Amino acid sequence: MHTVAVVMTREGRLHASEGDTPVSGDTGEPMVAMASTEATAEVAAKDPSPIAPEGKELVWGGGAFIVLFVVMRVYLFPRVRKGMEARYNKIRGSHESATALRSSARADVASYEGQLIGVRSEAKTIIDAARQTLEAERTAAVAKVNAAIAADRTNAIAANEAARVAAVGDVRDAVAAVSAHAAELASGHRPDASKVQGIVDSLIAGGAR
Amino acid sequence: MFALEFPPINELIRWRDLFTSFNKISIIACLAAFGSMLLFFLASRKDPLVAPTGSRNLAERSVEFIERDIVMQTMGKDGIGWTPFLLSLFLFIYFCNLPGIIPILQMPATARMAIPLFLALVVWVIYNAVGFRHNGFKYIGAMVWPKSVPVGMRPLVGAIEFLSNIVLRPFSLAVRLFANMLAGHMLLVTFAFLSNAMFTAQTKQMFLRPMGVLPLFMLIFLTAFEVLVGFLQAYIFTILTAVFINSARHIEH
Repeated sequence: MHTVAVVMTREGRLHASEGDTPVSGDTGEPMVAMASTEATAEVAAKDPSPIAPEGKELVWGGGAFIVLFVVMRVYLFPRVRKGMEARYNKIRGSHESATALRSSARADVASYEGQLIGVRSEAKTIIDAARQTLEAERTAAVAKVNAAIAADRTNAIAANEAARVAAVGDVRDAVAAVSAHAAELASGHRPDASKVQGIVDSLIAGGAR
Repeated sequence: MFALEFPPINELIRWRDLFTSFNKISIIACLAAFGSMLLFFLASRKDPLVAPTGSRNLAERSVEFIERDIVMQTMGKDGIGWTPFLLSLFLFIYFCNLPGIIPILQMPATARMAIPLFLALVVWVIYNAVGFRHNGFKYIGAMVWPKSVPVGMRPLVGAIEFLSNIVLRPFSLAVRLFANMLAGHMLLVTFAFLSNAMFTAQTKQMFLRPMGVLPLFMLIFLTAFEVLVGFLQAYIFTILTAVFINSARHIEH
């Protein structure tokens, strides 16, 4: 049968041991037995309490804390805190200047956009004026060209009419001459030129109709 | 044969003197104070106008933590002047707690009663002094005869308040820190011993040695847990100090 024995020794140690020592109550299960000696209580009484504070630890621990507190309070903490404040102020200042810069930039953008609107308006005015000028010049040029064309056409018509009249005159003279010569050949005497001319004119006038 | 020999508690928490009246606890306390001062000294040497890094970042984080999460939460803007004291208290306790999980040191200085007791007594003296300074003898009067409770209840509440302010607060402050750190330390020691005993057991039972990983895993988990406990206990001690000082200033509340 297996047994595990936990024994407190004279020095106050807990001692566990495992073996085949038979013990009472033969149930087949391992048994745990604890034993203590009278001497254990005596040893425990001699040992200081584990809870009791030791004077030297109190002095060293307390002294270390007091030194830490004084050095922190007087020297180290103010330096670190001052540095933190300086950085916070710097960040705050940078933030404020960035805000001011942003406002200034926004004002500049607004001013630029205002100027841009003015320039665009001015450009539009100039373009409109130029367009009107160009339109007027174009109209004038077209009128001038049209007038020139009309004059040329009138001249051409006149020249054409003059040429027609000249051609008709030449034809009349030629017809009158031929007619007079034919009548002279037929009758033997030369007809009156003015009469021949009158007949030819009336014939031409009748043909023109 | 499987033997587990667990040393007496005094062997685990009492340390021999390295030289006259200077033992491991004294070393840890001095290192905690020196470490805190070194951190702030290194921080104070760095250019404060650039973005903080390293020691400066750590120092500023701790200052902001004390100011924002302790002073402003408990005392308001009026309590900003207490930041250096509360900061020193927090750093000292935290750096005293931390060696519990640092190899070689492996002992939180606050797992001994001396340091928690000293700090609790300092806090007790300070908050009572603040109470007398702000309220004069009304401090005691308002404590034993609180006007904000019905007349019939005043003797009972007054007695409780007096007992709480004068006796229980420093006691509970000291014992809370000490007991938590001692319990954590004992847990780590227990699982370390158990794990070691199981790995080195002279036994015919083959399963016993591999099972030693279970207390080892527990030891690793508890070590990580002690990081949290160390911070939490420092925070609780510091915030309770701030609460006690503030309640002493405004005794009518």
